[in-house]
Amino acid sequence: MRFIPCLLAGALLSPLAQGAESQNWLLRLQEAEQRQEFQGVFVYERNGSFSSHEIHRQVREGQVREHIQQLDGVFHESLRTNGQLECMTGPRYEQIMENQADGLRRVQPRTLAQWYDIRTAGQSRVAGRETVVLSLRPRDQHRYGFELYLDRETALPLKSLLLNEHGQPLERFQYVVFEPVEQPKLQAGQACRPVTNREVRSLEEQAWRSEWLPAGFSLTRIVEQRTVREDAPVAWLVYGDGLARFSVFLEPWREGLSIDQRSQLGPTAAVSRRLATDQGDLLVTVIGEIPLGTAERVALSIRSGSGVMLQ
Amino acid sequence: MNRESLRETLSAVMDNEADELELRRVLAAGGEPELQATWSRYQIARAAMHGEYFAPGLNIAAGVSAALAEEPAPSRSGVGAPLWRGIGRVAIAASVTVAVLAGVRFYNQDALDGAQMAQQSAQPAATASSAAPIAQGPAVLASYNPSGEATLAVPVDHEAQLTAEDQRLLDYVRQHARQAGSGAESTLPHARAASLENR
Repeated sequence: MRFIPCLLAGALLSPLAQGAESQNWLLRLQEAEQRQEFQGVFVYERNGSFSSHEIHRQVREGQVREHIQQLDGVFHESLRTNGQLECMTGPRYEQIMENQADGLRRVQPRTLAQWYDIRTAGQSRVAGRETVVLSLRPRDQHRYGFELYLDRETALPLKSLLLNEHGQPLERFQYVVFEPVEQPKLQAGQACRPVTNREVRSLEEQAWRSEWLPAGFSLTRIVEQRTVREDAPVAWLVYGDGLARFSVFLEPWREGLSIDQRSQLGPTAAVSRRLATDQGDLLVTVIGEIPLGTAERVALSIRSGSGVMLQ
Repeated sequence: MNRESLRETLSAVMDNEADELELRRVLAAGGEPELQATWSRYQIARAAMHGEYFAPGLNIAAGVSAALAEEPAPSRSGVGAPLWRGIGRVAIAASVTVAVLAGVRFYNQDALDGAQMAQQSAQPAATASSAAPIAQGPAVLASYNPSGEATLAVPVDHEAQLTAEDQRLLDYVRQHARQAGSGAESTLPHARAASLENR
């Protein structure tokens, strides 16, 4: 019976080695996101939209600056520093400043492997460059899968597909030109309107909660803001599993709001429903890159926690 | 059948523990418009969860195209299980109708471009009829009548303005998209956000 352990070891070894290799690629990817400078052109495609964009990314003294400009249709550009919008074409926009810990939170590939089956699925070429294909298959039906085509040289994703449970793509992000250059020229135009800081009220973590969450999703943000259009209070909660994210918006019910609303924009599901609480009726809106059924279930599970009122 | 048991069945459906026939029994027993409406909404959620079709959303036309494109070719021979085929076809047609009726009218130029693309790729020969729906105003989204059993022809006003409701939802979708990425993949969320900016 001595061969059985050998067989077992043999059977176990390859997936383990596989796992180690793919997780190593993910670590390299995370590092590259913070360090690698480049310029390129990518296309983004989802149900109902196909657009091409030029991108420049610069890293100076630990600050990652990224400029994106749309090349087709209506002109649009945006400039971000460490993921925060600095300026953007279009109407005036206020955004909420991130905590460092929030926006740049890194998730260990090991943790990610609890929710996704991560494997190297082969090799391919994207934008004329050699890539390694990583497949991240969800371990449950509450999230979508990813296919990442990582540049062999820089480990940055040159192509990324979000896949539903049948393996059909919900969105495609893909470079057609990618050049890892040093000191790329990065300049925002006149039309790039500075983004201002939005006033928010901080909330306790327990102010609102969801009785049900898909495994691995945790709260990464909870604030209260006011809507620009109606000046009404809205609580904003963000949950993530390290890869997928969804937002929950809570506002007091008022006449004219719909009771139930569902829609799907490419990879993004949106569910609104009326929720009766002891503080009166609220409207819960769940938005994220998760299956519609998951969003629905979260919307049904939101409860008021520490008796906080929307102000 | 009371409302509570309907909800139980619906939640079973969402957990993949009920079958189509069970759902249909509930629907037949219900018959009230409100129950029908609830069922319709859950049908969308269920279809989306199973990835059977992309729910209505911002681009109804493409959703409809996708639903129709995925439909298996109807068998006219009558061999095998014609009843099941029939149910499948009606179910898909129903989901498409719901998509159009319950869909959010998030039309913009961008979405129209996509819709035309989807239609063209689905029917390369039909370019003449799908070439200029904007100029012609209301256009027929889809029409499917293989054997006279299921028909769908929905006029859609391409110039429909966003309602306040739709605008509210779109504001939230944008706010969700514009927040900083989660770290593992920072450019993708930005690309997503960028694709939402043109209207």
